[in-house]
Amino acid sequence: MEKEEFEEKLIQMTKPEVNQLKHQDMLAKAISNAKDKTVLSLWWLIIPLYIISMLIMKSLFMPNTTLSSSIHDLAIRQRFVAYTFFLILPIIFILINTISIRKVYVLSGSPKSVSFLKSVWLNVLIIFFSILILIVYSI
Amino acid sequence: MTESELLNRIKSNPADFSELFRLYYKPIFGYVLRRTANFDDTADITADTFFKAFKHINNFSYKGISIKVWLYRIATNEVNLYLRQKKRHNSIFESIGTEDKDHFKDYFHEDRKEFEIELQKHDQFLIVLKELKTLPIKYQEVISFKYFEGKENKEIAEILLIKEGTLKSLISRGLEKLRKKCNQI
Repeated sequence: MEKEEFEEKLIQMTKPEVNQLKHQDMLAKAISNAKDKTVLSLWWLIIPLYIISMLIMKSLFMPNTTLSSSIHDLAIRQRFVAYTFFLILPIIFILINTISIRKVYVLSGSPKSVSFLKSVWLNVLIIFFSILILIVYSI
Repeated sequence: MTESELLNRIKSNPADFSELFRLYYKPIFGYVLRRTANFDDTADITADTFFKAFKHINNFSYKGISIKVWLYRIATNEVNLYLRQKKRHNSIFESIGTEDKDHFKDYFHEDRKEFEIELQKHDQFLIVLKELKTLPIKYQEVISFKYFEGKENKEIAEILLIKEGTLKSLISRGLEKLRKKCNQI
């Protein structure tokens, strides 16, 4: 068979067609609902991180001051702020991001893949900083 | 509604992604099916393609490239990965949570039955595809787009991110190789 003839045969040849897919709508709904807006803005985490870094600076540059004593002082003077930013927010972030990672894990089917890591890196980072804040606060 | 309007709608309301599904799920499913000739793998690959698109839709900036081309590009990468690994595609499809899982499975099995019948109707295509699969991936993708999907060179070049001159050369060489293989049967 010559090249032109073969080419024509390929064009004319019947191919399997997709006319109806019953599962399509349900799959579309499942995927569309998959992405929750679980990763809250990083800004909320930056506030406690900023306060902690200020306290670290204070403990480094001011004599007779430690990080623990600085946090303790703040907790006494600004009890509500300390509880909110150093305890409640990090716990909420840990819970929300863990649920989010769990959801992506279930959907991805291949949790060891690079794409999985790419999609959850921000959640992991937020959990890491949240734990860090909790540790610093509880010392 | 233009593509950029659709993109903006999806970005503000992820549930509108179903509109993209309605427009492109069938063409992409058909393309993957005509490259793999396997219903289960096609379903897996296509679901993964749309899931990836969904995850990255916020990063997709509308700069001349159409969503359709973008989806074909993702699907092509997924198919190539599957063909290189030569094993069952590991996907979100089976584990995906739907509100009515049994209902979903029933629909899925019905679709599988229909496609098995559909595939059997095209013996000649299956023979050609079997031979095509023995060629390097670069020939498989261009032949598939050109002769199975009936796409224009410009669009194929855009999907595969190659120059039209390179594409013509790949098609010519691929066609010749496939012809020789089919002549041997």
